[in-house]
Amino acid sequence: MPDKKTGAVTANGWRDTLRRVKRGWNDKPLMSISLVLVLLVIIQILQFGFDYQSVGEWADRIVKNWLNILLNNSYVGIIALGMTFVIISGGIDLAVGSTLVAVGAVVMLLINIRDVGVLLSLGITGTPAILLGILAGLLVGFVLGEVNGLIVTKGRVPPFIVTLGTMKIYRSVTMYYMQSLRGLSLPEEFKQIARFTIGDTMLLPILYWFALAAVLHIVSRRTVFGRHVYAIGSNERTARLSGIPVDRVKRRVYVLMGVIVAIAAIIQIARIGDMDYTSAGSGYEMNAIAAVIIGGTAMSGGRGSIMGTLLGTLILAMVSNLLTLIGVATLLREAFIGFIVVAAVLMQRKEKE
Amino acid sequence: MSELLSMTGISKSFGANLVLDQVDFRVDKGQIHGLVGENGAGKSTLMNILGGVVQRDSGSILMEGQPVHFRTPAESLQAGIAFIHQELNLANDLFVYENLFLGRELKTKTGLTDINAMCAASQQLFDQMGVQLDPRRMTRDIDTSYKQIVEIARALLMQARLIIMDEPTTSLTHVEIDLVFNLMRTLAKQGVGFIFISHKLKEVLSICDRYSVLRDGRMVEHGQTAGAEVAGLARAMVGHEVRSDRLQTDSAIGAEVLSTRGLSRQGSYQDIDIQVRAGEVVGFTGLLGDGRSALFRSIFGVLPPDSGTILYKGQPVTIDSPERARKLRIGYVPSNRKENGIIKDLSILENGTLVTLPDYVQNGLIDQARQTADFDRQRGALSIKMGKPQDSILSLSGGNQQKVVLAKWLSVNPDLLIFDNPTQGVDVGAKEEIYDIIVALARRGVAIVLLTSEMPEIMRLCHRVYVMYHGRVAGMLHADETDEHRIMMLQTGGTD
Repeated sequence: MPDKKTGAVTANGWRDTLRRVKRGWNDKPLMSISLVLVLLVIIQILQFGFDYQSVGEWADRIVKNWLNILLNNSYVGIIALGMTFVIISGGIDLAVGSTLVAVGAVVMLLINIRDVGVLLSLGITGTPAILLGILAGLLVGFVLGEVNGLIVTKGRVPPFIVTLGTMKIYRSVTMYYMQSLRGLSLPEEFKQIARFTIGDTMLLPILYWFALAAVLHIVSRRTVFGRHVYAIGSNERTARLSGIPVDRVKRRVYVLMGVIVAIAAIIQIARIGDMDYTSAGSGYEMNAIAAVIIGGTAMSGGRGSIMGTLLGTLILAMVSNLLTLIGVATLLREAFIGFIVVAAVLMQRKEKE
Repeated sequence: MSELLSMTGISKSFGANLVLDQVDFRVDKGQIHGLVGENGAGKSTLMNILGGVVQRDSGSILMEGQPVHFRTPAESLQAGIAFIHQELNLANDLFVYENLFLGRELKTKTGLTDINAMCAASQQLFDQMGVQLDPRRMTRDIDTSYKQIVEIARALLMQARLIIMDEPTTSLTHVEIDLVFNLMRTLAKQGVGFIFISHKLKEVLSICDRYSVLRDGRMVEHGQTAGAEVAGLARAMVGHEVRSDRLQTDSAIGAEVLSTRGLSRQGSYQDIDIQVRAGEVVGFTGLLGDGRSALFRSIFGVLPPDSGTILYKGQPVTIDSPERARKLRIGYVPSNRKENGIIKDLSILENGTLVTLPDYVQNGLIDQARQTADFDRQRGALSIKMGKPQDSILSLSGGNQQKVVLAKWLSVNPDLLIFDNPTQGVDVGAKEEIYDIIVALARRGVAIVLLTSEMPEIMRLCHRVYVMYHGRVAGMLHADETDEHRIMMLQTGGTD
């Protein structure tokens, strides 16, 4: 309402505008995030526009840049998809980075073609070895997720504490056993899982990511499991009283998370060809959580979407790319990312009724 | 007595929806004024305007003759109006005196909190109120009624001259209610005005001096409580005559569905032998701590019993989870709808089909056509008033939310349906509809268990009632021998 006193007009006008923006943001969260993303893309294109004269080369550079962004963010992008389920269920998983190295280590140990290769020493080579390796990797992800889920449900320990603990355990044990096994080499066929090129670009990790997003989107919207996850995250007591097997669903959420991390791990070692067990995957948990939050999923559970997370990951990726393009000091980039996470949550915070 | 508050011509609309239409409302000093109306009649909006939570569109408010306009709850509080909400706003982990002084702590010269001064001031206030309570007790350790009293004390400490109490008695026992009422009367004599909001019309008539009735945003009736009757008030609230007749019929009562033998759970209930038959509405009543809710949570698989047997359709069964109960076709409409009944982030449709969701799966995915068709059937049968099935469950009134909770259980075709306090926070009209549904279900052969503290529900609906006292069945009464006096005797530990 316009006030006669000049001071109040601007203050109220500004507050009103902010409120309207917030309401719009909250009413159509996916639209809002997409809008931000489009904005970022435009800024990025403009940035390129200043640098390159010839149009063909310019477009080529932009596409290459995008593919590069997508490729580099595919692991965290995939993990963030699983994290969406965990957070919607009302939980959190800090152990994803450590699960990643544990899975990577087991797969490397099994299928590497040096003399320590477990499958090689059993006389298994080629495609059967690779398939067995992948299967074992997925199994490790499954088991480590199940361990988290069991402690959360049977032990009634908060997920934050459980996965803080297993984060340390999984990585530490992996590093201990792998300390003397550096420089393992993987069979070329295995590397093709990620490295197979179309034209001269590596596309597969991006395709895995988007395909997984599509599948998990349907799982979240159209399966009993998916809907139960939302119900539990929103109101666990009602869910239990409605005959939903709450503990079983929660365990499956952590198992799903573990398996998804395993997929990311397999893609990562196939692409890089090796794994640094001390640093690989560290910080993934926080980046994945950040992507989920920017994507509009509530930390308290019950609300959120896979599509939002996909967009959230893209926003994070786009921003850090832009910071590089603009030439912001490397050491300051994390500050910008942090700012965006907090701003996103501020925007999504519900107005007090 | 002199005028304390006067609201004149208050109107308010939310969007195109006119919620309050030219409402006049007046409270005098030292008056306890009952404000009644169905859910959605505009009570909360009127009080929220007074409390500075929402702004009026037009009209004027005078507080002790001075025009006021509250933009924030703080401004309303400043003017001497305190709002005590149904959900108490106390920090359970603080001491009583800390809650009293929360946000306005007394400090010593060195800047530390002055515990002695605060305790002394609290004690003095309690003495003046005629309340026996040690301010150094931990808030979580005191009874609900005392928490209510602490809230009132806090209001007084802030120099409140008008205290709004929203449904203060819902979670109190009879003894506790008397305690709170006595305090209100004492304070009223000292000149404090009260606005008492309640669905319990009998209470309104017993505690209040005057009453006002809101219906569809208009003030339809007000007057002295002396000489007024519950039936008259109820009529004013709904706009037509309210039934008080017996609804239960001598429908054909069938075979036994549920019985227990010596069922016990340490600290909750002991040696329970009960029986419920098909087509029968069996009431369970008692005062706080009677154990009836715990008993049926056990039968529904939420709370495991220590010993004893549950017989379901003649067979001994172990019910270790609500899933198991669902498979046995036992349904449960819990108390506290917000906490136990609805899932606020899901749609009406999803809330209404939550229990039977696995039944709609086709090729791994939920067949939404079947889900919607199933819900539509319940929706029709229960005449749920709603917009689109995809709308938020929160878009519905309390009564319609409760019907959605019921719908999710009706989809499993239950043989035994447990209702725990099903008409809590539900308005008069919706109450009647829920009663009709219960009676219709019984007629179809469903065994109904009705946990309730409301005497009219027992009298009107139940074929038999078990009265519980301190975890034991104190007595069982058939419809023709049920009266309020006998129930009161049994539930307070007296003998019939």
